[in-house]
Amino acid sequence: MKSKIQVIFVTAVFLALAVWAWFKPADDISDSELRKLAQFPEVKAEKIFNGQFMSEFETYALDQFPMRDEFRTVKAVVYLYAFRQLDNNGIYVENGYAAKMEYPLDEEAESYAFGRIQNVYNKFIADSNANCYIAIIPDKNYFLAKEHGALSLDYDRIFNDVKKEASFAQYVDITGLLSIEDYYRTDTHWDQSCITDVAEYLAQSMGTELEGTNTVKTIDAPFYGVYYGQAALPMKPDTVNYVTNDAIEAAQVFDWQNSKPIPVYDEAKIYERSPYDLFLGGSLSMITIDNPLATTDKELVVFRDSFGSSLVPLMISGYKKITVLDIRYLPGDRIGSFVEFDNQDVLFLYSTAVLNNGKTLK
Amino acid sequence: MLFSSIPFLFYFFPIVLICYFAVPRVAKNAVLFLSSLVFYAWGEPRYVLIMLASILVGYIAGILIEKLKGKKSQKVVLGVAIAMCIAALGYFKYVDFFITNFNAVTHLSVPLLRIALPIGISFYSFQIISYLVDVYRGETTAQKNFIKLGAYVALFAQLIAGPIVRYSDIAKQLTDRKHSFEQIFQGIKRFIIGLSKKILIANVLGELVDVFRKTSEPTVGFYWIYAVAFSLHLYFDFSGYSDMAIGIGRIFGFDFPENFNYPFISGSITEFWRRWHMSLGSWFRDYVYIPLGGNRVNKIKWIRNILVVWMLTGFWHGAEWTFIIWGLLFALLLMIEKTPFGGFLKKCKPVAHIYVTMIILLSFVLFNSGGVSQMVGDFKGLFGAAGIAGWNAQTGYYLRSYAIVILIAAIGATPLPTKLITMLQSKMLGTDKATIAVWSILEIVFVLGLLIICTAFLVDGSFNPFLYFRF
Repeated sequence: MKSKIQVIFVTAVFLALAVWAWFKPADDISDSELRKLAQFPEVKAEKIFNGQFMSEFETYALDQFPMRDEFRTVKAVVYLYAFRQLDNNGIYVENGYAAKMEYPLDEEAESYAFGRIQNVYNKFIADSNANCYIAIIPDKNYFLAKEHGALSLDYDRIFNDVKKEASFAQYVDITGLLSIEDYYRTDTHWDQSCITDVAEYLAQSMGTELEGTNTVKTIDAPFYGVYYGQAALPMKPDTVNYVTNDAIEAAQVFDWQNSKPIPVYDEAKIYERSPYDLFLGGSLSMITIDNPLATTDKELVVFRDSFGSSLVPLMISGYKKITVLDIRYLPGDRIGSFVEFDNQDVLFLYSTAVLNNGKTLK
Repeated sequence: MLFSSIPFLFYFFPIVLICYFAVPRVAKNAVLFLSSLVFYAWGEPRYVLIMLASILVGYIAGILIEKLKGKKSQKVVLGVAIAMCIAALGYFKYVDFFITNFNAVTHLSVPLLRIALPIGISFYSFQIISYLVDVYRGETTAQKNFIKLGAYVALFAQLIAGPIVRYSDIAKQLTDRKHSFEQIFQGIKRFIIGLSKKILIANVLGELVDVFRKTSEPTVGFYWIYAVAFSLHLYFDFSGYSDMAIGIGRIFGFDFPENFNYPFISGSITEFWRRWHMSLGSWFRDYVYIPLGGNRVNKIKWIRNILVVWMLTGFWHGAEWTFIIWGLLFALLLMIEKTPFGGFLKKCKPVAHIYVTMIILLSFVLFNSGGVSQMVGDFKGLFGAAGIAGWNAQTGYYLRSYAIVILIAAIGATPLPTKLITMLQSKMLGTDKATIAVWSILEIVFVLGLLIICTAFLVDGSFNPFLYFRF
């Protein structure tokens, strides 16, 4: 009798979960992972005989499993708290901040990144009167690794490599202005409202003064950053703040990738899959920002990754025109077709994570 | 298809369970046979024909061997059938090994065939051979029903990674087996325990092994962590799979033989092999060692027998010289333990356990080295002769990160948890009805809890290879 009840109960739960998996409508997107989910594979004799159908079905079954995110949270909790693992899928949480364990240093990738930057300089900037600057943004591991006991890059070595490999540019050290509180808890990026001092310091290093009074606005919507999904841990969402001033309000931004004007901040993006895209439209290969209120003729060209999207608006008040280029999407060899270098300030602004994955640069 | 996969757990297995218990008794073997073919075809659509051909050879040969009893031709049929099984195994598993060595010796360049190894061929070939030999010896009767023989050979529970089930072990159950709720719940528990061993311990330790293999900063310390992690990984991977196979068998009314009996607590290598992959050890004993004369021959022949059996045991695991060396290492150790050294080990237990632990760690490092050059590199690393640091931050990080899992695995590899549960169970079950009910509920919570955690690990992760697939 005892075993009968046990078998019936366990089998019922097991079969219920199985039947749910069979009949659950397929989701298109994983919001927590920001990726498309596999759909039921096409049934074709050829695909069955070469095993492709089975392989695709396995991916589909994993991607579409009922309560997938909740199961991933169960795994993360068991992994981190029962097994006392120091990271889950390379992500760890320290003092409420989720960070990716960026390790080890990929020397080849770093060298490649320097090669691409040098290539842009040699081809288009070296013979101009432009003034070059370079600043490196440390990833969150820089601040948290020691306390957590996580492995981390040799940051001193990276900063020294930058000085050596990009000696054509003046190195601007911004690390002293940053702390972990300047970053979102659930995301890789920094919080724009916390980096006005960084913008001022960069402007000052380039001989420019930022004008106007900044106002911080808060978006009333939860922001679940990229690490929220990857860590799969129960974490509170962040709040997104953005900084505005007269110059930012008046700025005219043009997206050359899609040939259309865009706003500096697009609040609607916070509800989309990449909320950080609210800053300058997100990952765009080339945009220009004109400042009609400018009291100077100075121009700035910024080579940047996603961190630059939130920093660049803070620089608007100091320049008449800013050109923002992302050579992860726009091949460095084609820059000359879009920008003529002549007496501008040129800022290379990259995060350590991008340098360590430098092969993303074109 | 892997047991520890979502398609198996939540698609294939529930459907087979429903079909199996829905059909009348007479059709149950057919359900098992057909579902086993689907299970096999899922991973190897083309090779299902090879398995079917092997079963057909076994089926016809078994009947002929029985019919020809007492005649000279009986031996011929047995020899031909075994040769066909070994030829298939040799072709698919070893042909490139022989070509490589032929090329090395002759300096020719015979191209490699690069044939994919049919999953489970090492296991089902051995099962067919044991069936035929048992029929020849008159220890069992030939199976006249193709479906029943097919269900025995192809049964998905043990098809791809054992245990190697002898036909005589389950011949009766193929015809008449009982199903009870108690047996089914025992099977479910055993399956879930095996699944947990595989997913929660073996796969997690496998991640550590993977990190070690990929690191560009190995240290002597990391080599030893790797040796411990890989040994436990292999044990939990393989014994977990055997537990799942035995559990599934029990749900369907079969009693499969045990394959592991806490090998890491052994006091000698001889004992270790009586506790590790027991079905393979007993197969080689009964079908190779004893037919060669066993130990009832002169010393020279006995040494030959030991060397042959252990060389074949090593070679069965893989077509690499390292596996042969691995097998011969055990042959040497087993012979040494027949000297007074064996007596010393029996008397001095702490030394015996240190000795066995060291041998196991080193032998599994050898086992996992992809070739002779890597084997040399691994041993240099272990003993500080590779010019690497003793310790670094990365080694410390991974030791701290995996310490709890290694500890759980080390304790779980001993009989301690089972003893504790048995003790607790006997105390509780001897009491009143309410306590028994609580225990029953705890068992349900235990089974479902582990199922949910295992599912969570599967949904989250993609690291899930079964090591014994390559054998």
